[in-house]
Amino acid sequence: MGSMETRGLSVGYEKIVVDDFTVDIKEGQILALIGPNGAGKSTVLKTITGQIKKIGGKIYIGDEEESRISPQEMARRLSMVTTERIHPNIMTCRELVATGRYPYTGILGILSEHDNKKVDEAIELVNGLSIADMDFSKISDGQRQRIMLARAICQEPDFLILDEPTSFLDLQYKIDILSIIKRLARENKVAVIMSIHELEFVPAIADAVVAIEGTKVRAYGKPEDIITGDNIESLYHMKKGMGKVAASGLWDYAKSLRTLLD
Amino acid sequence: MQEKTKRQILIITIAVAVLGLLCYFASKIGSQNLTESSELAATIIFQVRLPRIVAATVLGGALALSGYLLQIFFGNPIAGPYVLGISSGAKLVVALVMVFFLNQGISISSFGMVLAAFVGSLISMTVVLLLSAKVKNMSMLVVCGVMIGYICSAITDFVVTFANDSNIVNLHNWSLGSFSGMNWPNVWIGAGIVGLCLVLSFIFSKPIGAYQLGENYARNMGVNITLLRVGLIGLSSLLSATVTAFAGPISFVGIAVPHIMRSVLKTDRPLVMVPACFVGGAIITLVCDTIARSAFAPTEVSISSVTAVFLAPVVIYLMVKRRGDR
Repeated sequence: MGSMETRGLSVGYEKIVVDDFTVDIKEGQILALIGPNGAGKSTVLKTITGQIKKIGGKIYIGDEEESRISPQEMARRLSMVTTERIHPNIMTCRELVATGRYPYTGILGILSEHDNKKVDEAIELVNGLSIADMDFSKISDGQRQRIMLARAICQEPDFLILDEPTSFLDLQYKIDILSIIKRLARENKVAVIMSIHELEFVPAIADAVVAIEGTKVRAYGKPEDIITGDNIESLYHMKKGMGKVAASGLWDYAKSLRTLLD
Repeated sequence: MQEKTKRQILIITIAVAVLGLLCYFASKIGSQNLTESSELAATIIFQVRLPRIVAATVLGGALALSGYLLQIFFGNPIAGPYVLGISSGAKLVVALVMVFFLNQGISISSFGMVLAAFVGSLISMTVVLLLSAKVKNMSMLVVCGVMIGYICSAITDFVVTFANDSNIVNLHNWSLGSFSGMNWPNVWIGAGIVGLCLVLSFIFSKPIGAYQLGENYARNMGVNITLLRVGLIGLSSLLSATVTAFAGPISFVGIAVPHIMRSVLKTDRPLVMVPACFVGGAIITLVCDTIARSAFAPTEVSISSVTAVFLAPVVIYLMVKRRGDR
């Protein structure tokens, strides 16, 4: 278990997409990353998961700098679900979840009793038992998202990085996925960093929110302090006064969702 | 052990047994009808038929494995050393090297041939990789590969036609693909290289399995992506180069066999598929070679003609099915 901290992190490809990104997260906490389309939420998450190299700044896992930890060690500490669709050939959901055991198996990757138990637990946690033996390419988007989450869970990470885990799902699936994530944080003490577009879910799930827009962190703090009319207005470039309207309705709905999620 | 795994092991065991039986029967078939046991019969079987049978088995397995590794690399079942022009690149460099040395009156060793073929494979592979950065669509990449194959074959034809040596006759047969004239020393060299590649592929099967989920997830699981990619390219090129050096380019085994094995075993797990593709490739190539040398005996047909007849339809089926999926 551990904490993660970023200090003055700047991310991007050739050009800087987000600059001076400084946040910290402790075990069992959920940090939500919000901002308009194209603000660089995915780029931040890809940098934290090591898919792209950071341009500057530091990422600390506990007291150690991320770049000093070996890839094998990182695989046991951090897992992810991206927005990328994967296309494995003839693979059942259980087999796909089992790939999450990769950092723990021997040279040929054969699963032990213990590994199989972890796979089953992860599938059960996402309520995926009924689809476990189905072909991964033949299930719905919502079910796919659950299976990918189970895969990330059975990697037994300290940190779970999720890029828009609720996008394109119906309301019930959104609630399901988010309550699984919430349980994981509370019960397994996993620290979660997730990007999310649905602001109404943020108060129900996140301990902290960071809003990015136009290469900068615009706001960072508790949901009730960050999801305000003024912030929504400037983040999403709305006309004067519209943010307030949006925020008042949003908070009503958010309170109902909080009840549904617990 | 899971029921599915047991079934897969059973199927592979049966396939190995079938391969053994086929080897036995193939040694009985030939242009000479050897009913009585005589010294001549023994010589024909041990010095002519058996080396050829072992070569077809080992090199056929190598082709299928090479195709499987390429399919993993490109994340696409429509890939193989022949359709991507890698075999033809190997053929061209081998032909150039052979003609050059024959003109100097020097004959080159089998290792030299494999090395030349490996260089040729890597050159074609480099071109394919450069193209794949531009052409994102796999079908287009295959078309490009076929074109590379044509260019290489055309240049090989020029070289073979204008070279003035009686040995060129052999070169001509070889450039169409054939296991004829195989001898034991070559078989052992081929088997040594292929065996090494087979073992390495099997050991690599864990990271290969992770790579099937895409580069990003594989990296997140702690896989060294650069090393794995170099390994996949190196192994698949060396495998198809070894085949080309000894038997010339052989069509469609590399692309079709992995597909057949996937359908039979209902899995794409490398731990199962690496040995399965090898055995499957061995069986199919041995059958095709036996048909090639005995169907119109004493005239031989080129092995590629036989494999094309049986396996090209499989490839067509694959392409049609993929379109249907979209």
